[in-house]
Amino acid sequence: MDSFSSPSSGSSPKFSTDDIMSQLRTQLEQAYAEEFLETVRGKCFDKCITKPGSSLSGSESSCISRCVDRYIEATGIIGKALFNQR
Amino acid sequence: MDPSSMNSPELQNLLAQEKQKAMISEMISKLTSACWDKCITGSPGSKFSSSEANCLTNCAQRYMDMSLIIMKRLQQ
Repeated sequence: MDSFSSPSSGSSPKFSTDDIMSQLRTQLEQAYAEEFLETVRGKCFDKCITKPGSSLSGSESSCISRCVDRYIEATGIIGKALFNQR
Repeated sequence: MDPSSMNSPELQNLLAQEKQKAMISEMISKLTSACWDKCITGSPGSKFSSSEANCLTNCAQRYMDMSLIIMKRLQQ
């Protein structure tokens, strides 16, 4: 146990402000991505899979693709609407 | 000053900024979800109709108007 302490510092590793902020931003981005994914799954399931069959039909698959694109677009429209107010 | 101190003003300031950004992100996320439900009633197309796009914009702005009314009301 004595080999852990060094004569010069004798304390736990120090993290810089940059390290802390960098980790925070990475974790926030991951959390946002997961939340976004979960939301899109829910919305597109509701819109596109109205009567679940024994496999995904071609029209269900294309609906899902369009749905994801539209939802991303909607996010952009809302963002702009909030920050380009009259 | 100890650069790893959680009490450093620099860190607190950066954290406050990130908190602000996170709150805005959350607002956009919730509004997009609510306005999608209100405005995109049919099956998603390969682009938004102008009425769908306008509805989304209106939805966000009316929400902000409403928010102001609510705050004023609560302050009375």
